Amino acid sequence: MKALALALSLFCAAAWGEGPAIRLFGWSDYLVQEVLDRFTEETGIAVNYTSYDSNESMYAKLKLLDGGGYDLAIPSTYFIDKMRKEGMLHSLDKNQLPNYKNLDPRQLDKPFDPGNQYSIPYIWGTSGIGVDTAKFKLQDVQAWADLWKPMFAGRLLLPNDMREVFHIALHILGFSGNSKDPAQIRSAYELLKKLLPNIRLFNSDAADVLFVTGEADAGVIWNGAAHRIQLEEPSFQYVCPKEGVILWMDSLVIPKNSPHAELAHRLIDFLLRPDIARLNSEKVGSATPNLEAIKLLDPKLRGDAVVYPPNDIVSKGEYQTDVGAAITIYTEYWEKLKAE
Amino acid sequence: MRQGNFFRTSVILLLSVWLALFVLIPNLLVLAASFLGRDESGFINLSPGLGNYLRLFDSVYLRVFAHSLWLALLTTLACLGLGYPFAYFLAQFRTSVRPVLLTLVIIPFWTNSLVRTYAIRSLLAARGLLNNTLIALGLIEEPVRLLYTGSAVLIGMVYILLPFMILPLYNAIEKLDHRLLEAAADLGAGRWRRFWQVTLPLTLPGVIAGSLLVFMPALGLFFIADVLGGSRDLLVGNLLKDQFLDARDWPFGAAASMALTGLLFLFLAAYAYSLERFAVEDRP
Repeated sequence: MKALALALSLFCAAAWGEGPAIRLFGWSDYLVQEVLDRFTEETGIAVNYTSYDSNESMYAKLKLLDGGGYDLAIPSTYFIDKMRKEGMLHSLDKNQLPNYKNLDPRQLDKPFDPGNQYSIPYIWGTSGIGVDTAKFKLQDVQAWADLWKPMFAGRLLLPNDMREVFHIALHILGFSGNSKDPAQIRSAYELLKKLLPNIRLFNSDAADVLFVTGEADAGVIWNGAAHRIQLEEPSFQYVCPKEGVILWMDSLVIPKNSPHAELAHRLIDFLLRPDIARLNSEKVGSATPNLEAIKLLDPKLRGDAVVYPPNDIVSKGEYQTDVGAAITIYTEYWEKLKAE
Repeated sequence: MRQGNFFRTSVILLLSVWLALFVLIPNLLVLAASFLGRDESGFINLSPGLGNYLRLFDSVYLRVFAHSLWLALLTTLACLGLGYPFAYFLAQFRTSVRPVLLTLVIIPFWTNSLVRTYAIRSLLAARGLLNNTLIALGLIEEPVRLLYTGSAVLIGMVYILLPFMILPLYNAIEKLDHRLLEAAADLGAGRWRRFWQVTLPLTLPGVIAGSLLVFMPALGLFFIADVLGGSRDLLVGNLLKDQFLDARDWPFGAAASMALTGLLFLFLAAYAYSLERFAVEDRP
């Protein structure tokens, strides 16, 4: 009986650790286990990592839990905007984040979270056009509008992401990618309808694999995937379209009713440490907004214009913000487009 | 005796509680939601109405439903065309070999169907096994575009659902009384006539059961169209996902889901009716 009790208590100690554990809710493959292990080693705080595959499912879960089930999440721009407006986020205490100063001021104070009251930039990048120059000439794809050329009939890869696809069409028409105007969204739909014959497939989760296996020859792609393809296919090129790229950023936030907000601050600060941010950025293959970490990067990666685009490209790009109830208009036209 | 009753009662009770908790209540919740309105920050609001159901009659959604039905029908016909001869020949083997062969039909079920769909993708890919073989044999020079086409979707659907057709067909064909076929032959009926007038009518319950077992899941499967068709087709399953996650219009998604459930009930009712008819016909 005593032995049983002992075994039970040992089991409990193993299951719950000595102290509380941070519950982290993030994209799959977005945080390196090595980084989390080092955090646990240095602080004695365990981290339980649960992953999600879309902002939408992350939002639904946090909403239903009333922001109470997790201590840290990594939403994209427009969901930070939405969650912030709906009071789902914990406001951040910068005093608990001494490493905040390492962040590039150009990546702070964005329209989706003015003053970074609720979010800390984690990684960022662009969406542009990827093209296999063995199949198409580079000068044929310099702008988003070039994707409509008949030469691409049945060849294009597009993300299976409603906002992103409409963003491109709205951009070409000279509107904001965050338009809430039904007439503008409608004209974007009319334009996209003409793109349909060129589309071979919609896919968001394996763009790099599709290029490397020869299934896609041209299409819309994010720069992290483009960087990975280039390592395997030298003929692959990434183009930042003339009309301006789509900017994206994923940031760390603490849900409103997080049980361990203070510990979550400690983890955020740890992730902002230059050596840790560098490790994460190199493993994930995307740009870090951490200036001190960039200094530590391999010069080859730092100088790669695909991962770290020059200033003039970034300043012409646009982030996605929340469009409120207009999202139903987008969905309606998206479904029309696909049922065409 | 009493103990047996107790066991039976507790099993039935457990199952009923389980079904009520995880099937009935969730479905009632979906049903209730389908009559409410969308809310930007809370998923549903209390504004009851039939609007969600009326919206289903929009031409886009009718097209989505029609497309799903068409794909399910094609899949069923293809499975029937392949499954019938398959089950027929299976039933001709010696009784000792049959269980082994049946096990071979079932083995693919041990792997998750999503994983098997990805396996098909790598078979059909531009630099996949099939294209590489054809190129190595010198039959083609450039890889054929097989993936992300309508045929790829159909191949995937048929592959995943074929066992559901084979098993009930085998069951029906195996039970076929060979004396009836011999009698037909003695009376001068040819091979085809024996098949059309004896074998087929007697195995029809298997055909109907198999078709239903293929048709109903085919109506709801959408990941095959996503993985092998490149997400270009919008099926009912995609519609539900889009409404629940992207548009966050839970009430409309719930209405669409109820419409799908209703449709499936309709097919089940038709099946029950056909069974009854067979039962009546069987009586001398």
